[in-house]
Amino acid sequence: RAVSGRSPPPPAPTQGSPCGSASSKDSVEWEGRSLLKALVKKSALCGEQVHVLGCEVSEEEFREGFDSSINNRLVYHDLFRDPLSWSKPGKALPGGPLEALRALDKRTGSGPATIALDSLSWLLHHLPCPILCQTLHALSRQDSCPGDTLPGEQVRVLGLLHEELHGPGPLGALSSLAQTEVTLSGTMGQASAHILYRRPRQRPTLQTQWFSILPDFSLELQVEPLLESQPPSDLHTPSVDPTTHLTFNLHLSKKEREAKDSLTLPFQFSSEKQQALLRPGLGQATSHIFYEPDAYDDLDQEDPDDDLDV
Amino acid sequence: MAAAGTCGTGTRSTGSMVAAASTNNVTSFQRRGPRASGADSGCSRLVSIAGTRPSVRNGQLLVSTGLPALDQLLGGGLAVGTVLLIEEDKYNIYSPLLFKYFLAEGIVSGHALLVASAKEDPADILQKLPAPLIDDSYKKECDEDVCSHKMEPDIKMKIAWRYQLLPKMEAGPVSSSRFGHYYDISKRIPQELIETSKWHGFFLPEKISSAFNVESCSLTPGYMKLLQFIQNIIYKEGFDGSNPQKKQKNILRIGIQNLGSPLWGDDICCTENCDTSHSLTKFLYILRGLLRTSLSACIITMPTHLIQNKAVIARVTNLSDTVVGLESFIGSEKETNPLYKDYHGLIHIRQIPRLNNLIYDISDVKDLAFKLKKKLFTIESLLRAPTLFLPQVVSFARGCQRPS
Repeated sequence: RAVSGRSPPPPAPTQGSPCGSASSKDSVEWEGRSLLKALVKKSALCGEQVHVLGCEVSEEEFREGFDSSINNRLVYHDLFRDPLSWSKPGKALPGGPLEALRALDKRTGSGPATIALDSLSWLLHHLPCPILCQTLHALSRQDSCPGDTLPGEQVRVLGLLHEELHGPGPLGALSSLAQTEVTLSGTMGQASAHILYRRPRQRPTLQTQWFSILPDFSLELQVEPLLESQPPSDLHTPSVDPTTHLTFNLHLSKKEREAKDSLTLPFQFSSEKQQALLRPGLGQATSHIFYEPDAYDDLDQEDPDDDLDV
Repeated sequence: MAAAGTCGTGTRSTGSMVAAASTNNVTSFQRRGPRASGADSGCSRLVSIAGTRPSVRNGQLLVSTGLPALDQLLGGGLAVGTVLLIEEDKYNIYSPLLFKYFLAEGIVSGHALLVASAKEDPADILQKLPAPLIDDSYKKECDEDVCSHKMEPDIKMKIAWRYQLLPKMEAGPVSSSRFGHYYDISKRIPQELIETSKWHGFFLPEKISSAFNVESCSLTPGYMKLLQFIQNIIYKEGFDGSNPQKKQKNILRIGIQNLGSPLWGDDICCTENCDTSHSLTKFLYILRGLLRTSLSACIITMPTHLIQNKAVIARVTNLSDTVVGLESFIGSEKETNPLYKDYHGLIHIRQIPRLNNLIYDISDVKDLAFKLKKKLFTIESLLRAPTLFLPQVVSFARGCQRPS
């Protein structure tokens, strides 16, 4: 399933959104970072190498909650401490976020890897959107580089995006790049994820999964809670029936149908005559012309066109 | 170039028709013999390019788009020297199909191909093209589709009994010299067809160096490189008549995928008032100039649903010749509407060009929907009025249709 760490190999940017729900509730923060950390933990437990590009929180804060085995697999590229590279070169990542992304591109060469971008919003604010899209595409294209492509050597890219910080343009652009899109929301204290999974050349599937994240960042999937206090949101509006409200009658009653069937039609021949007309006899031509001259017809046997010199 | 050829073919065909009609040999109408001059044997040569035919309305040279139903909607086919713009559907599922049909038609007809993409390697795109259907395998496909609605051959038709014995379907495709072929999406095109075809690929991440410095010219570097590549191919291979003695004339089919998406370096999908807002429109203008002076036809798919500025969409539509929009029902409320339950989306013909003509060649049917079956992509008229659309219904889907 897409939410668990065993997500399908192609890259999967994740969209986490603090949601001010439309109903009159208190605004609850459905934050996505814990989900990101849960996915990172799952990938690390699977034995993959995890690279994290941290921009919004410090390294200590990100590593908090992980035990040592996971922390050993985690390679943290820190952009939070010194994003503009003011300190001495060599200490922080030189060149800014773009160079950091490109370094990630070159670094992962051995074995399956997961790259977590914490967050795409920060990167969108510091890089022009087309360049970010191109770099992300290059990152995720690593699994299809020329030569032997082992299925285990695929790179998974997870990105965290804060929905309300961006307009529809960058959101649409990034979601068209993504293979799986997870939008977080929830009701009544329960977090839910709306997962849109696009398979190549097939219809995308939309799924809603309720989950909760335990303190040690393992993911627990849950069933949908019973919604009693709210009007049930899955009551569809009655489907439209196009045959109602017409000015003519589309349905026949039984009597009308019988009357219709017993009506003799003007050119209805008996079945023998039909067969005779359909299958012409052996010596006949396929079409006849039956001509009955009127009283006013001029039946001149001479061909009037004979004297034309054509 | 195409225009000069068309008047020639028009008069030539009338002359030959009259010559054939006269029974005796004493006639003043003589068929014009083939031109002796080798340099401009354009008239007789143009018509005989494989995979093209002159339009029945105005003699314009047409190529097939790969979907005979779409050809009919566009007035016989896509005119050589024009751009077909496909507005992508929201999840980009059906527009790549039209793109692939166009390219596959080029391979089957023996045209040269130029595939440009920023997302996928052109070699991979070519591997995934659908396989052409030949003759009896096509008939079998249609039989499978129709057999669920099959009528017994001796069923009594009450009113139209004279038509009982007429065959239900028209003949399928016969050979690859036809105009417009049918394809099986579930199968890949055979490898030898790709190898014998001449194709050029443009994959943006390979062509653009990693120096992401902002250029001061008004075209984004990706577009500039693509235009240079296209111009180079047209000149080198002689599609604009620059190397006339080389070989037989052929058509160049250009396919550009996802133009305008951020992967091309264009931020027209990201912001509403972008700095390079004229980049895309300039590209289309220059591309159209390149196409008009060469024997080529181009298909472009564009994610217009992502473009934020509606004025840009209007300008892009005006700069293209034929514009077809796809709207899929996935995720929208139309998915549950029983009116649309048999279909996967709507297809809108937004613009048809008026080339060498005083009137537009618009079809009468305006409400069109498409359906992706397991092996075929069909376009049908949405409103099944019983008698009004009967001739068009039969010729659209070539018999793969319930007899209504």
